[in-house]
Amino acid sequence: MFSKILIANRGEIAVRIIKTARRLGIKTVQVYSEADADSLAVEMADEKVFIGPPPAAQSYLLADKIVEAVRQTGAEAVHPGFGFLSENAGFAQRLADEKIVFIGPNPHAIEAMGDKITSKKFAAEAGVSTVPGYMGLIDDAEHAARIAGEIGYPVMIKASAGGGGKGIRVAWTDAEAREGFGAVKAEAKGAFGDDRIFIEKFITSPRHVEIQVLGDKHGNVVHLFERECSIQRRNQKVIEEAPSPLLDAKTREAMGAQAVALAKAVGYDSAGTVEFVAGQDKSFYFLEMNTRLQVEHPVTELITGLDLVEQMIRSAYGEKLAFEQKDLKIKGWAMEGRIYAEDPYRKFLPSIGRLVRYDPPKEGEHQAEFGDYVVRNDTGVREGDEISMFYDPMIAKLCTWGETREKAIDSMGRALEDFHIEGLGQNVPFLSAVMDQERFRSGKISTAYIAEEFPEGFHGLEPTPFQQDLMTAVAVCMQRTQVARARRAGGAGPIEREAWRVSIDRVQREVRVFVTEAGLDIELPEEGRSVRLESSQWRPGEAQFKGVLDGRVFTATVRAGHDGFVIRHRAAEAHVLVLTPKVAELYARLPEKVAADTSKMVISPMPGLVVSIDVTVGQEVKEGETVAVIEAMKMQNIIKAERDGVVKSVGPTAGDSVAADEVLVEFA
Amino acid sequence: MQNILEELERRRQSARQGGGERRIAAQHAKGKLTARERIEVLLDERSFEETDMFVEHRCVDFGMADQKVPGDGVVTGHGTINGRLVYVFSKDFTVFGGSLSGAHASKIVKLQKMALQNGAPIIGLFDAGGARIQEGVESLAGYADIFLQNVLASGVVPQISVIMGPCAGGDVYSPAMTDFIFMVKDTGYMYVTGPEVVRTVTNEVVTHDELGGARVHAQKSGVADGAFDNDLEALTQIRRLIDFLPGSNRDRPPVRESYDHPDRDEPSLDTLVPSNPNKPYDMKELILKVVDEADFFEVSPEFAKNIVTGFGRLDGQPVGVVANQPLALAGVLDIDSSRKAARFVRFCDAFNIPLLTFVDVPGFMPGTKQEYGGLIKHGAKLLFAYAEATVPKITVITRKAYGGAYDVMSSKHLRGDVNYAWPTAEIAVMGAKGAVEIIFRAEAKSDPEALAAREAEYKERFANPFVAAQRGYIDDVIMPHGTRRRVIRALRTLKNKQLHNPWKKHDNIPL
Repeated sequence: MFSKILIANRGEIAVRIIKTARRLGIKTVQVYSEADADSLAVEMADEKVFIGPPPAAQSYLLADKIVEAVRQTGAEAVHPGFGFLSENAGFAQRLADEKIVFIGPNPHAIEAMGDKITSKKFAAEAGVSTVPGYMGLIDDAEHAARIAGEIGYPVMIKASAGGGGKGIRVAWTDAEAREGFGAVKAEAKGAFGDDRIFIEKFITSPRHVEIQVLGDKHGNVVHLFERECSIQRRNQKVIEEAPSPLLDAKTREAMGAQAVALAKAVGYDSAGTVEFVAGQDKSFYFLEMNTRLQVEHPVTELITGLDLVEQMIRSAYGEKLAFEQKDLKIKGWAMEGRIYAEDPYRKFLPSIGRLVRYDPPKEGEHQAEFGDYVVRNDTGVREGDEISMFYDPMIAKLCTWGETREKAIDSMGRALEDFHIEGLGQNVPFLSAVMDQERFRSGKISTAYIAEEFPEGFHGLEPTPFQQDLMTAVAVCMQRTQVARARRAGGAGPIEREAWRVSIDRVQREVRVFVTEAGLDIELPEEGRSVRLESSQWRPGEAQFKGVLDGRVFTATVRAGHDGFVIRHRAAEAHVLVLTPKVAELYARLPEKVAADTSKMVISPMPGLVVSIDVTVGQEVKEGETVAVIEAMKMQNIIKAERDGVVKSVGPTAGDSVAADEVLVEFA
Repeated sequence: MQNILEELERRRQSARQGGGERRIAAQHAKGKLTARERIEVLLDERSFEETDMFVEHRCVDFGMADQKVPGDGVVTGHGTINGRLVYVFSKDFTVFGGSLSGAHASKIVKLQKMALQNGAPIIGLFDAGGARIQEGVESLAGYADIFLQNVLASGVVPQISVIMGPCAGGDVYSPAMTDFIFMVKDTGYMYVTGPEVVRTVTNEVVTHDELGGARVHAQKSGVADGAFDNDLEALTQIRRLIDFLPGSNRDRPPVRESYDHPDRDEPSLDTLVPSNPNKPYDMKELILKVVDEADFFEVSPEFAKNIVTGFGRLDGQPVGVVANQPLALAGVLDIDSSRKAARFVRFCDAFNIPLLTFVDVPGFMPGTKQEYGGLIKHGAKLLFAYAEATVPKITVITRKAYGGAYDVMSSKHLRGDVNYAWPTAEIAVMGAKGAVEIIFRAEAKSDPEALAAREAEYKERFANPFVAAQRGYIDDVIMPHGTRRRVIRALRTLKNKQLHNPWKKHDNIPL
């Protein structure tokens, strides 16, 4: 086996590779840019080599620097992770020429699959189903309708040079095909100066299903079943799972066999992924092959028990696969949620910055009322680290395993509750929302899921009745702990009152509170029932409240408000107050302060430095015109007017620093 | 006998009615609670003892003899906040618009005297229309009587004002002399002269809110120490503030049990100061990670953001925290931040609240605006306040401590008791670049390369805490992650600190 390998990557995947290497007794060398000097990966690796400034083009993408680092440290092989140089055939060839082992497929396989046209050709020759379509030139509208009829409706009529949503029409009938052909042709000519058109099968409500393959240098290839990655936002995968709720055994076998055939056809000798687009009817068509380890590989590891990085290292070293297809079985179900530094409440805008608090759920086996589950969290950061603008804004990949899909989803829901992050916007509440959605739980998903389920963006979910009980109990418990202590400090006696009112986002309910040995019994007289809070060890200052409510284990995220608490459980967040009946009556009288009307204001979307204010008082501004430039994280952000208007006032001036939500310009 | 007892209850009922149902409804319609309702929220349940409920005015002019309401527009008394005694007066807008008569003033004065004698804070809830014009000079005399008591009580018992409605003219000066002013947004406003007068005199057209609303005073003028969304929020936060404060300067601030381990390490603080010296970071993160349970009551959060002031606790012991904020104007000291911090430091010193100072200050703000505004004297206020303070003073320099601002920020030289620095500290007269440009003026013009070398040399020599530590100006260089543990230990050693300034009638701080 290798005695030392170099990791030509960073962040969580570098950490993940180091973990496997350690287990196999292989020493690791971590290359790093200036931005990663203090990173977890660098700390964990046995050796480190500095390779340049933060931008990847000046560090992680420089093959010369990597080769030099290999020479310098005497590493025998390079694991490229994903991204960066992982699918660069030139880099793989360069290493081969320098007699350094590339932990990945051979350069020919990378090259063959790297090109969209050649890969489709290979696929077709290997008997892999490709999207039916007509690649030749189409003469006229009649010709278009005829071809469309042959392919079968619906079809997509596309300009060769098309892109960005332009030059594309979907047709369901001959008439639409004729009409669409004309329209696309005109559009293509106008927009691209190239009116070549082609037609292919249009897959309605498509799903993204991919097959993991694994090969060795001895011609053996197996597949490790599928993953489904349909939950995407702007073509970025967000939630992945294995297996896929779409597939039945027959389809799985067929897809697996085609993927293996393709891998064999190109002499594939490492871990790789064959991506398919699948229809809801389980039809599937080849998209492309990724000749590297995939971001979402942990879900496959969780259902097969294999370590894909280990397998890649073994194959690269020349070992034979230690198993055959028939030895492989799917065990249980695994979910992955990608935790990104982005603000779901603000149209998922990137929200890079410092991880003021970073407290992920505990990895390993857990027990809950719905069954046993496993948590795995692949991450490259610690509390106090920075999510930098230079690289992918992923904070962690949270994975869970359960015996069934339902249990895997419930486990993910629980694990997300336990994930605490402060300091930047992150999508944990959003991922929680998806886990609780009926449609997701039913498995009826597609790549349009997020767009369809959250057409207006994400604004959190209303608390369910259980969550209202939870918020009630949590607030009562916190209030009691704090008040009892304050009263001890002030020399007052214990709290004697039993009857309180709890306000959840201004909806009040009556409660009677009884302290028991295990916790609190909270009677809800208006509803004629009570709830029981147990096992709470919460202490003031803790941002997570863990407890058991009516037998259900939960974690809520809590913080103090000016007059109560803000409590979040999963995707529901509310402002919760515990009041005496008298004060509750007074509170009900106070008008609710609606957030100021910001439609006439231009607001800074982020904290930063004002580079310029480009308008003056009295100036007429048209929608889309630049109002200000804010520099944040060294990036200049152009702030545009979202409506027409006349400038009434200007807040800050150039050189000022502004907070998020600070008013830059107000319109009359 | 029964009749006599019932008469008391009848009179009480009548007094509690204040200005009557119609006016109470009007008060509610404005989003405000009544004077008594506010007291109900502020104090512990059933703890309020009202005094002078039956006081009526003595005015007979302008038909006032027929208009008497028991209580005369202000509710006074005492009660407890989490068991601790406080005195409260609450202006009743429903009675003569809360306007101040001679009788009304005497009620407040009586309360102020009792609070002073018994060593308990005074909380004033303001919502009133100014002087009772019908009473003429008697009303003015009443104001002055209150002002005098405010001054006598200053530094003896904490005085807190909450502006929950109009507060104009003579009414503004009593709050102005108290320790803290808080305001309720949209309903509370305060100014010396109202929009009508402003318009007549200066032709300036301005609304109540633009002239003296909560946002104006909490962000621009610095008159208010905080602004809250509604009455409940404001009063709940006053309760929280009172928990930090002693009843008087004769007491120590109340210690409460802490749920936070005094030895808690915060590894993430080791990466708080960015490697790029010009990159800001949020000093509040340090404060929140050092104090107990991340519980920090910030004073004037929206005004002069380049300095952070507020109360926290270290192992249960209340402390006043002052910290330069690199996120705003690089944490520079200017007129506003000096004034803000000086006043806070003096409050803490007056009430035996130890001071914890976090320093990252590039110096004083340059420019004509500052100099014309009197930066010299305003900056001196903070210097003066730190120098005269005799409470325990613990200082931690996290990064820059440049020039005179280094001296000002609770340095060893101003009797700082325990002065620590992080390894990232740079204690110097100025930044390396500026320094070498002066020292090597000749080279600066001719040889930029040599200058760069000099800069590196200067940096190497002075951009660290060790030169200061060698001289004993810094007691120790500490690891950021252990800051909480170290400052708590330091505070324990200072528990019985005794230090007295020379006797004087009073000092003459550069006002």
